[in-house]
Amino acid sequence: MNRNTIAWAVVSCMLVVMLAACSGSNGNNTPEPAAATQPSSPDDASASGSAAESASENTGNEVVEINFLSAKVEEQIMPVIQAFEADNPDIKINYEFTPFANYFEKVEVVMGAQSSDVDVLDVDITATSSYVIRGFVEPIEDYLSPGVKEQWVPKLVEGHSYDGKLVSAPLHNGSQVLYYNKALFDERGIPHLSPNVEDRITWEQLVEMAKQLTYDTNGDGRPDVFGFSFDQISRAYQTLPLAFSLGAQPISDDGLTASGFTNSPKMAEAAQFYYDLFNTWEISPKIGFPESREYFNTGKVAMFIASPQLVIPFTNAGVDFGIAPFPYFEGQTIATPTGAWALGLAKNSTKKEAGIRFIEYATTGKGSQIWIESSNNLSALVAEVDRIIDDPAYDEFPAVALKLSAYESRNTAVNRPPSPGFLEWESRFTRAYEDIKNGADPKTALDEAAAEMDRLLGRYK
Amino acid sequence: MRTGKLAKSGRGSWRASSIPFLFLFPAFIGLFVFKFVPIVVSFTESMYRASFRIGGKQFVGFGNYADLFADPVFWNSMRVTLLLNAILNPLQIVLAFLLALMLNLKLKKIGLFRAIHIIPISVSAPIAVIMWSVMLNQEQGIVNSLLTWIGLEAQPFYASAGQALWVIVLIACWKGVGYLCIFLLAGLQEVPETLYESSSIDGANKWIQLTRITLPMMKRPLIFVTVTATAANFLLFAPVYLLTQGGPQGSTNTLMNESYFSAFVYADMGRASSIVVVLLAVTLCIIAVQFRFLRAEH
Repeated sequence: MNRNTIAWAVVSCMLVVMLAACSGSNGNNTPEPAAATQPSSPDDASASGSAAESASENTGNEVVEINFLSAKVEEQIMPVIQAFEADNPDIKINYEFTPFANYFEKVEVVMGAQSSDVDVLDVDITATSSYVIRGFVEPIEDYLSPGVKEQWVPKLVEGHSYDGKLVSAPLHNGSQVLYYNKALFDERGIPHLSPNVEDRITWEQLVEMAKQLTYDTNGDGRPDVFGFSFDQISRAYQTLPLAFSLGAQPISDDGLTASGFTNSPKMAEAAQFYYDLFNTWEISPKIGFPESREYFNTGKVAMFIASPQLVIPFTNAGVDFGIAPFPYFEGQTIATPTGAWALGLAKNSTKKEAGIRFIEYATTGKGSQIWIESSNNLSALVAEVDRIIDDPAYDEFPAVALKLSAYESRNTAVNRPPSPGFLEWESRFTRAYEDIKNGADPKTALDEAAAEMDRLLGRYK
Repeated sequence: MRTGKLAKSGRGSWRASSIPFLFLFPAFIGLFVFKFVPIVVSFTESMYRASFRIGGKQFVGFGNYADLFADPVFWNSMRVTLLLNAILNPLQIVLAFLLALMLNLKLKKIGLFRAIHIIPISVSAPIAVIMWSVMLNQEQGIVNSLLTWIGLEAQPFYASAGQALWVIVLIACWKGVGYLCIFLLAGLQEVPETLYESSSIDGANKWIQLTRITLPMMKRPLIFVTVTATAANFLLFAPVYLLTQGGPQGSTNTLMNESYFSAFVYADMGRASSIVVVLLAVTLCIIAVQFRFLRAEH
């Protein structure tokens, strides 16, 4: 055998190995399920689609696996998943967690590729219309069992709908409360705050207290304890109520124009207040999310705006805290955040029937009860919200956080503006508020943001 | 027509000359699949624009490019990218060369010093960025603690529009100088000692040896390092994405970062692809100029 022959043999082997490695399938892969017949329109879904899908999804004793893309903390959502699997042994949930800070981008990457690897996913209320328009999710209205839709709070149903159809099932209701560190208040001689809505403090009062609660503990000339912080620093969910309280409108009525709205005088006034928290009064630390939670957990922040579900982790962290209503600007409107997460059905899923069964279980009845107990969120069910408001048991700490949330959701909640491009708008808004936090002129930051937002929203015209 | 022994030697000659190309063929396949095809796909994608109302995407030709060149955000990204590279590339190369000169000294335990400077290479980029973000945190970072301890004012670092880009330069240098130094050190060790000995006999000092012997002999490694650094730094993404997300106030919003946001936050693949194509063109032009001016004469 001469050298040329050996060389040809070596090169041929290398090519074979390379082609085998680049091969798209191998013997270990689970065979793909047979493609389900897609309904030609949503109206046909319950008649033909579900039957075809159930035929392909579950034959006999076969277990159907559905993939659930979620930003929900594992220890809170797993009890729901485990209970569902126990009650539905023919379905298995593959739970894939993505941190909240990266979740929206993950959805853009995975769902933008029209992947069929996701069957059920978390859908934020603000992403409802965007996800439908872009083909990420399919409205669940026609897949739901009769009478299910009426169980949810009408305002949430409205927020999670597009073009008159319910897109995703509300997992819970959303609101925010003001946590405060009792030990720090005692140390500075400041009276504790009341949890009653009649005793709601103003932002002006909060600032004065926060100035007293911002101090240096180790003599290096820099504050180590700060008077106040938002949880979701710079994000629209918590900062837009500043503007709503002043009567501002962030986007045009059709949700497609930002200039003149996002940078209006009232929006600029709210942004100026936000700037002053970090740069003028210096009562808020220049940190990010989720570092903000650690600051409250470790006693570095005295007052903290956050979701009622954080009662559990704060209690576990040993923080001696109290709860008060969300502040407002003196003489202005009381406006509180609302809107939360829902479960949506991926448009390209081949297991929609199994997905709907999980969605209904997790958002109504037994699954919803488990989720609310494990996450300490406010329920999305009308009956449950009314019960909390009327039940004197929720006057006690820490259950009062839920009662406050229930009250706010029925009386003071303001939805974020509906817009098909809201995710893009919100992303740019967050960047503008981050710049303002770091010292940028508020009006200039909003002007630049509004110009860019118009370009982003214009794609939906 | 060749026949008999002549014909056999012709076939043998063709086979012998084709062997090197056959060995290179798998690598060419990889280059084609992972480099050339994505470039073509990106260019094609840049000709389309998503239409959310109608669904799907529409062919717009060079419409995305026209919109891009009329967008002040794009020009800010171009300015930031060029400024970053104008500072970072020469700084990395000079520092890497100086480091290589020092590591080429014949000292005891020089191997230990060489190993220390390899450590940043072994740390992944995300870990490195997180580590630096903790150290440079304006509220609780150790760097500010040291500054205030010695009586200086605390600095905002990556929270400041005036300092954020320099922080990116710092992190990129910390990560990249050791890597580039390896190639320059190998090049230095290839320079014959006899050249330095004979120049010493002729009375040449260290500076003359550096400029008349070392630098000319190092042209090939320097070209390699220059091109490598240029390509890597034009595509720099991890520090910007993890640390500043293009802020504050767009001061670190490089073309790569703007492309990422366009693709995965704003769902505008057409715009993202056109930014990437422009970035590729700019990078190729600059590398071509570098080859033109740095090519070795020997």
